[in-house]
Amino acid sequence: MTMISKDPSAVAKVALEVDSLKKSFGGVAAVDGASFSVEKGTITGLIGPNGAGKSTMVNLISGALSPDSGHIRLDGQEIGGLEPHEIGARGLIRTFQISREYPDMTVMENLIVSASNQGEKLFNVCFRPSVGKKRDRELVERALHTLITFGLYPLRNEYARNLSGGQKRLLELSRAVMADPKVLLLDEPMAGVNPALIEKLGEHIVELNKDLGTTFVLVEHNLEIVEKICSKVIVVALGTTLAVGTMAELRKNKAVVEAYLGGDVRERVGS
Amino acid sequence: MDIILGYVTTILVFFFTYNIFTLGLNIQFGYTGILNFTVITFMAIGGYVAGVLAMPKAAAGSGIYYILGLNLPWPIAALGGVLAAGLLGYLIGQIALKRLRSDYLAIVTLATGTLLYGLIGNGTSIFDGWQGLFNVPQPFAGFRTWTPLGYSIFFTIMTGVLFVLLWLFANRIYKSPLGRVMRAVRDDQDVVEAFGKNTFKVRMTAMVIGSMYVGVGGVLTIAYITALSPAGWTTGETFVVWAALLVGGRGNNFGAIVGSFLVAVVFNEATRYLPQIPAHPNLIPDIRYVLIGLAVILSVYFRPQGMFPEKKNTFLEVPLGDSSKAIEEHLAGGLSKVGEQ
Repeated sequence: MTMISKDPSAVAKVALEVDSLKKSFGGVAAVDGASFSVEKGTITGLIGPNGAGKSTMVNLISGALSPDSGHIRLDGQEIGGLEPHEIGARGLIRTFQISREYPDMTVMENLIVSASNQGEKLFNVCFRPSVGKKRDRELVERALHTLITFGLYPLRNEYARNLSGGQKRLLELSRAVMADPKVLLLDEPMAGVNPALIEKLGEHIVELNKDLGTTFVLVEHNLEIVEKICSKVIVVALGTTLAVGTMAELRKNKAVVEAYLGGDVRERVGS
Repeated sequence: MDIILGYVTTILVFFFTYNIFTLGLNIQFGYTGILNFTVITFMAIGGYVAGVLAMPKAAAGSGIYYILGLNLPWPIAALGGVLAAGLLGYLIGQIALKRLRSDYLAIVTLATGTLLYGLIGNGTSIFDGWQGLFNVPQPFAGFRTWTPLGYSIFFTIMTGVLFVLLWLFANRIYKSPLGRVMRAVRDDQDVVEAFGKNTFKVRMTAMVIGSMYVGVGGVLTIAYITALSPAGWTTGETFVVWAALLVGGRGNNFGAIVGSFLVAVVFNEATRYLPQIPAHPNLIPDIRYVLIGLAVILSVYFRPQGMFPEKKNTFLEVPLGDSSKAIEEHLAGGLSKVGEQ
């Protein structure tokens, strides 16, 4: 189990902190006392076998569900139980397991609508339309840069629904970038993606992390890419944190290996 | 000549009013994806409230009952009607938009509309029950001496001007950042929410604006006919507005106009000339509903986006400063590699 450091300088370095988080559905404890922390500017992996509670954790952190007990802190501030849009506005942006583009909007619109502060107020529509127009110009420019980076520029005026599965994954990531996130929570971004594109998505994540300093939390089943890009990996099983370390360390951890390959994890989680 | 002019003005008023309903529904459904299945209730509330604000106090002993009766000048009464429709939209939104979406939301709106229909019909003291309001003062009728035709022409122009203003405003919303967020909410509400935008607020804004649009239509209806009773706003009327929007093209205000023209004017007027069968007085209105239903089925089957689908929005990309240079450099690197996965 991770120890949550009380040292103030260490706290300042923590982007996201989850502390004794619990959530049950009926009698099933999907998340049962998970605790971990994600340091600022890192790419942290969150792995675990199916049914470990990863998706529930993502939904709790992003506000889609509210926790039964425990704490979630973003930059030291409690966000547990807030509305999803409040959490999004504080700089924690999530993506979804299945690509969820805005199908009836163009790729360009998908990006621009995802930026914060577009001036999307009724007051502006009525009395100050220039505010939106001016901001749009900036956003178009940024969106074009982003699209070029992600290789989507030629598709900018295509409806997002017409994109291929892989292109939709790229669109999701580029859209998230437009929101200037502090923490980007990617829920299985590599699911259903071919190996070449997995490689490419991984490169994009590393690049964004380096260039923009965005903190990434990567919930992923593809351990190869997790090993490649994550400096720290958190393993969850049965709703709680099983181990934390680098992928190389975790490979030697008997509890982790057994959680993945079967065997009774229960004994080790308690200890 | 006068008869033809009178007929044309009546059709035009009807056409403009239907357009305003359809624009309101387009803001709610076409822009934001709110399934409002009680459009006509907002028309009724707008009309009734404007009516009772403009009418004098109900005379005691006349057997006619209604609330208020403030005898206000028409513009103020009209504004009151529109605000009442907006307030009703807000209240229904508070119930329905907070937790519900898609079909569940549709059920709640339909149920609320039915409840209000029953309440207003049976609650005689509110808007005189099933009998409804009549002798509603006409706007600006005392302003000068009108011939009946002159007044009709004046009213047509007034309705037309209002329609154009509302059409321009609806387009302005569509093109604004707010309209863009509304369309994103329509496409995937959860994602917009995850990106830090209060989708409840966005949907409520669309709900209230749309309701006020329909309210304007209601205010104009009661002012033109000078009467309104529950028989004039049955649930079926809601689906005429829906049919107009679906056939014309949701998300496209021009489509909304064409749809209103087809459904509300062509079908309504064409069926008028069918021979009457004395034993079946309801046959003609029923045929009208059958035709509208058929138009919806055919349109959904053959052209689900409507006759005039939503247009693709592009952005002005020049002048772009340094990004145009970046694009050129990138394109020089080989277009074929880009976007291929």
